[in-house]
Amino acid sequence: MPEPRRSQALLAGGLAAAFALSAARSPAPLAAALALAALLFRRGIVRQARRVARAVLPVSLLLAGASAAAARLAGGAWPDPAPYALLVLRAVTIALVVFSVLARADLQRALLPFPTASRLLVLTLAQVHALRLLATDSLLGLRSRMPRKPGAVDLLRGAGGITAALLTLSLRNARDVADAMRSRGF
Amino acid sequence: MHVPDGFLSPQVTLPALAVAAPLWAWGARRHFGRSALDALPVMGALTALAVVIQTIMIPVPGGTSVHLVGAVLLALLFGPTVAFVCEGLVLAIQAVALGAGGVTVLGVNALALGLLGPLAGWLLFRALRAPFPRAAAFLAGWAGMQVSTAAVVGALALQHALDPRYFPAPPGVVAVAMLVPSALGGVAEGMYTVFAMALLGKAGVRVGEAGGTAHA
Repeated sequence: MPEPRRSQALLAGGLAAAFALSAARSPAPLAAALALAALLFRRGIVRQARRVARAVLPVSLLLAGASAAAARLAGGAWPDPAPYALLVLRAVTIALVVFSVLARADLQRALLPFPTASRLLVLTLAQVHALRLLATDSLLGLRSRMPRKPGAVDLLRGAGGITAALLTLSLRNARDVADAMRSRGF
Repeated sequence: MHVPDGFLSPQVTLPALAVAAPLWAWGARRHFGRSALDALPVMGALTALAVVIQTIMIPVPGGTSVHLVGAVLLALLFGPTVAFVCEGLVLAIQAVALGAGGVTVLGVNALALGLLGPLAGWLLFRALRAPFPRAAAFLAGWAGMQVSTAAVVGALALQHALDPRYFPAPPGVVAVAMLVPSALGGVAEGMYTVFAMALLGKAGVRVGEAGGTAHA
């Protein structure tokens, strides 16, 4: 299938699969989906599984574990662990499918028929990169100027200053980009 | 504060998406639709700003930390609908790039974090800003986070009511577990809003109505 149809079909299929998986109420369909994902997306599956283990699994485990522990405190007995385990399994399966689909779809090409969305994505990601560099520099500068480790109030005051710098810089960048786009005939 | 994928069923997520999508379209057309040339870079800049703000972690007692949201600040500067559109984009980027939140819960998270919280903060600020501008900014930041958290708790409670086997934690437990840290995190968000507003004022950025922020 030619681009951008291929990427669009992949993304639409991935989204439909994610919603379908979020409706699963037993481990069997989730296990089947995991096996199918491993088969369909075998190239790079280990990389995506590592990504899920790093980004999604700890948060899901923490949330499900904390919910079970809070229910234990409130009710006096440990609740049935199966629904909590299912929460984690559902989150992990959806994430693995979504990450695997995203690794195969070209988001830029999928958005080609929508030039406004495409430009917005590029502009946002470029600005995120520029602003993150500035934020990191500013926070390192704050730490280097203080004789002790910055506390919550120092960080908040620093964050306020960084935000002012980020907002003025990002609005200036926005004007520059608008001028550049206009001069290139967009 | 995000709801992760898999914690809410399509019975909750699809109606939320059905509410959020037209609101995004309306907000984008209203505030960013006049001229794509001028609007896109500004929207990209604001979204990027919100993404970066959310990476700033504030330590809270107990050894943990909370992250700032910054959506209330955007609402105070540019209006709640601009904040909603930008926060929707932030959540989409976080779901796709970082695995935070998720694609199925995008509507729920956007309504809670991008619309209800910032709207509450914006209304509170408008009501109190004349006599007490700094207190109004603090309360707007604090209350915005509480309303967002309460909305997330409400969505999880609805899921529990629909099917307790799907989301087993009782609403009371979820409320205590989420609202207590949120009350502490809200103090950080309120102080951040006050500091940012004060510094933006010094930098010559005026706080105005929707889309009315300008450099002096």
